[in-house]
Amino acid sequence: MRKYGIIPLLILLSGCDPEPVLLPDPAPVQESGHSGMLILCEGLFNQNNSTMSWFDFSTGRPESWSRNGATSYDCFEKANGRRLGDTACGMILYGSRLYIAVSESGTVEIVDPADCRSLTQISMPGAQPRALAAYGGSVYVCCFDGTVARIDTLEMKVTGTASVGRNPDGICAAGGKLYVSNSGGLDFSRPDSTVSVISLDTFTETARIAVHPNPGRICTDGTGVYVISRGLFDYSSNSYDSRLQRIDTGTDRIVETYDFPVLNMDIDGGRAWLYGYGDGRIRVLETATGLILDDCFIKDGTQVECPYGIKADAASGKVYICDAADYVTPGSVLCFNADGRLEYRLQGIGINPNSIVFHDGGVSAQERRGSTQEGLADRVFEYRPAPGQFVNTMPLFEEGDNDSTMAAKCLAALNGNGMVTLGGYGGYITIGLGHAIANREGFDFEIDGNALKGSAEPAVVWVSADVNGNALPDDCWYQIAGSEYARSAQDCSISYFRPQSDDASVPWATADSSGMIPHNSFHAQAYYPKWYDSESVTFTGTLLPCNMALENGSWVMQAYEWGYADNLPNGSDGSRFDIDWAVRDDGTAAGLDSINFIRIQSAVIGSNAVTGEISAELTRILELE
Amino acid sequence: MRTCCPALIAILCIHVNAQELSLPDSIRTEDLREVRISADRTYGADALSTEQVSDAGLMNATGALQVSDAVKYFSGITVKDYGGIGGLKTVSVRGLGASHTAVALDGVMITDSQTGQIDLGRFSAGRTGSVRLVSGPDNDMLQSAAMAAQAATVNISLHKPELDGQRMKSRAQLKAGSFHTVSAQAQTDFLVCGSSAVSTNVEWLQTGGDYPYIQNNGSSSGIMKRKNSDVRRLSADAALFSGIGQSDLNVRACWYQSEQGLPANILYNENAASERLWNRDAFIQATLRSALGSRLTLQTVAKYGMSRTRYLDRDVNNSSGSTDNRYLERECHVSAVLLYRIAGRLSASAAVDGRRSELQGVSSRYILNSSAALKYASESLVLTARLNHIATREHALDGLPAAPLSHLSPVFAANWTVWPAAGLHVRASYQNTLRLPTFNDLYFEQVGRRDLRPERAQVASAGLAVEHAFRHLSLSMHADAYDSRVRDRILAVPGSNTAVWMMKNVGLVTTHGFETGLELACSGPVRYGTMMSYTYQRAMDKSREGGTTWNHQMPYTPRHSAAGTAFLETRPLCAGVNVIYSGKYFCNAYNGPEYAMPSYYELGFSLWRDLKLESATVRLKAECMNLTDSRYEVVRNYPMPGRQIRLTASVDL
Repeated sequence: MRKYGIIPLLILLSGCDPEPVLLPDPAPVQESGHSGMLILCEGLFNQNNSTMSWFDFSTGRPESWSRNGATSYDCFEKANGRRLGDTACGMILYGSRLYIAVSESGTVEIVDPADCRSLTQISMPGAQPRALAAYGGSVYVCCFDGTVARIDTLEMKVTGTASVGRNPDGICAAGGKLYVSNSGGLDFSRPDSTVSVISLDTFTETARIAVHPNPGRICTDGTGVYVISRGLFDYSSNSYDSRLQRIDTGTDRIVETYDFPVLNMDIDGGRAWLYGYGDGRIRVLETATGLILDDCFIKDGTQVECPYGIKADAASGKVYICDAADYVTPGSVLCFNADGRLEYRLQGIGINPNSIVFHDGGVSAQERRGSTQEGLADRVFEYRPAPGQFVNTMPLFEEGDNDSTMAAKCLAALNGNGMVTLGGYGGYITIGLGHAIANREGFDFEIDGNALKGSAEPAVVWVSADVNGNALPDDCWYQIAGSEYARSAQDCSISYFRPQSDDASVPWATADSSGMIPHNSFHAQAYYPKWYDSESVTFTGTLLPCNMALENGSWVMQAYEWGYADNLPNGSDGSRFDIDWAVRDDGTAAGLDSINFIRIQSAVIGSNAVTGEISAELTRILELE
Repeated sequence: MRTCCPALIAILCIHVNAQELSLPDSIRTEDLREVRISADRTYGADALSTEQVSDAGLMNATGALQVSDAVKYFSGITVKDYGGIGGLKTVSVRGLGASHTAVALDGVMITDSQTGQIDLGRFSAGRTGSVRLVSGPDNDMLQSAAMAAQAATVNISLHKPELDGQRMKSRAQLKAGSFHTVSAQAQTDFLVCGSSAVSTNVEWLQTGGDYPYIQNNGSSSGIMKRKNSDVRRLSADAALFSGIGQSDLNVRACWYQSEQGLPANILYNENAASERLWNRDAFIQATLRSALGSRLTLQTVAKYGMSRTRYLDRDVNNSSGSTDNRYLERECHVSAVLLYRIAGRLSASAAVDGRRSELQGVSSRYILNSSAALKYASESLVLTARLNHIATREHALDGLPAAPLSHLSPVFAANWTVWPAAGLHVRASYQNTLRLPTFNDLYFEQVGRRDLRPERAQVASAGLAVEHAFRHLSLSMHADAYDSRVRDRILAVPGSNTAVWMMKNVGLVTTHGFETGLELACSGPVRYGTMMSYTYQRAMDKSREGGTTWNHQMPYTPRHSAAGTAFLETRPLCAGVNVIYSGKYFCNAYNGPEYAMPSYYELGFSLWRDLKLESATVRLKAECMNLTDSRYEVVRNYPMPGRQIRLTASVDL
């Protein structure tokens, strides 16, 4: 024990107390075979901090970005401008889409794995969606409320539900049937001990198979089904008597019970990799015969602190273990090669990583960058955002940046996996296209942003053709006359003034009104573009009526019908444009055959203390065939 | 009560019988002085450790509705607040954790053996005479053995009648505020047969608690309304104060009944909140202080209480569709303290304290606290040494109970008047305390472990205090530095099977802290008062060297926090202003950016006017809490209310 005589001195010196040391950023690693992997991290219960990371094999690093000044690996938040929610506990890839079950937030997110954007959020309040399986064009999600919901992958909607036992916590599809493990885990000492069998033809429960109490993880090799049950709690040993059981899908009977501690498994290529607790071993089992091939897969003595997820890749023979560490600090992913030796450790990826999905469908971010650069956005001539809450962060302003370096960052963001903000009313970007877009029948191009239902931030689109052939946007510009053209005010100017300090709101004035871009606590950086030399900046554009209103206590930004960027969800007709819509200043049709330049300009004045100002965000420009 | 007390009662009887029954005035005056100090001064410069008091005047100025509102202005503390009137509010002193802070009502300790948490939000400020926080050894030699064994104590002194020769005094008070908050209080004090007085009180409080908050989830942000945050609460109590010969008797009976929602964590996309809580508590306690001859004072306390709790969640995906738990906790408690003045400057005290707590259907526990203290007090020097002993025995209804415990712990403290003219004191103390595992820690389904040891805390503190008065102006200030460490912390950690969490004794926390406070008061035709505090706490996790949380700051412990309140009373109008500030902190043991909580402040303002009528005084008061509508969370995902207005009218007859 320390002598307390020196206390006062100690306190004076408490400035010398050691400071906390955070985990280092993951070191780059060598990995191939896939484009990369998506890692779902559950976060901590009731902390709303589930995340999803993209580990890009071509760069050997997880994709990162700056969130409030700190490095974040959450590519879901980066791509969607919002977080996954609370306790994301299941993720599968089916077709070209990723399905994520977020238990406590009661949602299933359908995500494009190429860019991590959420295509749809299916809300099922109170249901607690837990685990997912896919079969025949549908995705099935088992929910703690004792149901299995069927999601149609084309409509992206729940098209039916089936009742099963208590608190189903695992699901798989085999032999034309769904097997759902009824855990009954919310009854603590009285768990369920059945597996429900659902006929995929009728989507109703047809049988229940008695298994060891508290079944959870359930996997199939396509023919047989393996289920892990946690068992009952034994107070003398302070643990559960867990079991692995094998179900014959022909007879729906238990044909084998294994007596070793087991918590989780993954099956791929006719083998199951299982981990338990206590002995920290990983066992390998041949699923067709049920024989244990290897009793101790890890050969180099590597200790996994707290295994929380497992993913096997039969093609490469590699096994990936999610390590939750102490559940509080960000966990890691350990990659073991086919020989059971640790290849690398991806440390600090997220809190409580639980699921891994490999992604091959698209191209890696780097390749994607290369391929689209040849395609549409080829140059950014001007990036002139108005002040806004994402300005200086999307893209990130760094000391020394100027108009041209910021424009280059915008180009990288539009061709990569980033987002560009235009700030409040008037802010714009002028983009040169890699090749001319011809005016064909119907929609010609699409502009993607971050619009969701109730969160539209419309921007007016202008187009121009390189008539003089100098490859510069100095030709006549034509406005795309969207649905609100008749209600809009043309040539409306606005001036913004640099505030005294970085954390102050930004004043603005038009000819007949004035106001503020309010500085909010969620975005701490300066809102006035830092690379602008002048103390005020003026924009002239087309002003649309304000689309912001308070409805039932929430701020809602209603979308306009058509013809604006960042107005309706990506991929919908509302995000698509027809060159025929372009008009001259007098409102008559421009009659363009093709275009070479696009200018997109924020078009609404509106703000509130919660969601901040209305400011359009862009992610990419696509040509439509 | 039936089984635990005979031995104790026997001890008390021996002491009482052996003493002469005469009562010299000197002891009475000393005893009374203790009370007067609390009422008049905020900091006792001659105290052995940091002692802070908020009296009725100060509580009025801070706009306190609950006792937890008054405690916020003290130094050296961290208040954890789940928001709104119904949200749990606990106070942790000097980085030790909330369960190391004992809460007492009129000097009699309140315990919750099930959770170990005393919600300071339950106590109405309207019925509170003063709140006194002692962050270390107490000067009071008549302290019970259980209280003396605590690292820090919050004593809530309920209202005492001050009849000033009148037969009866009454007060009626009505409050109405934002978010459908209404409260009504009626209090009557009256004289019965000469030397006895009775005080009765009834109070009703209800709130909708449906305050708006901001859910921040980027593009899915919105303004929402807090759900299931309503409270309905009735409390009633009656107290008898009586002087019988050379003794003072104080008997108090209290009833508390409430129904409330438990506001849930804010979850993205999921806005359900369905947990309800009912409480019905009753207790009766009696304190008898007797002077036995010129050298002896005996204080005896007896208490019996029961507490019924019902927890209901109708929205659970289990087989019954709900969780419905009912608990009944019973407690009886007797204690005796004997103070003996050996010589002019030397006094000794011996205290025993027996307690039986029972959680029906789970377990019961007997605790015997004993304490012996020696105090030397001269004009310029006060020295105290104390030895505390605790012995426990438990019975569990199912399976093995926790093992019996016997533990000795010392306390030393000194106060030296360095410069009498300036009222400058220097003080130092060392204290060794423990907190027992709660019934939940020990017996809770699957999580509890019966082999838990108590948490052990050590605090060493040194500082100075100044107390000075110039004419109408009085000034007191203190500055204390401390070093505390808590070993064998009881935490839920993953077991060998990682799917099971269980309680374990893990970890060591070392805190280096500094706290300072200043109070100024000006009496006269224009009264003015201010109280300010600042706290620095560096509470480091020292559990596992090389671990990821090594040296990380403890969760919910800002390094810097401060508070201040001031009031000005003039003839036509009085005004009060108050502010609290918390520097940034972390909501988890790992200090990663994911867990960072931003700094916050809250500003409040109040105006009141006293109208003196013929036989009554009427006070009209308007308050605005969180004037700037500051949006913050103390506990992650539990938003605090924004701007609120409250109007109060009270009549004193």
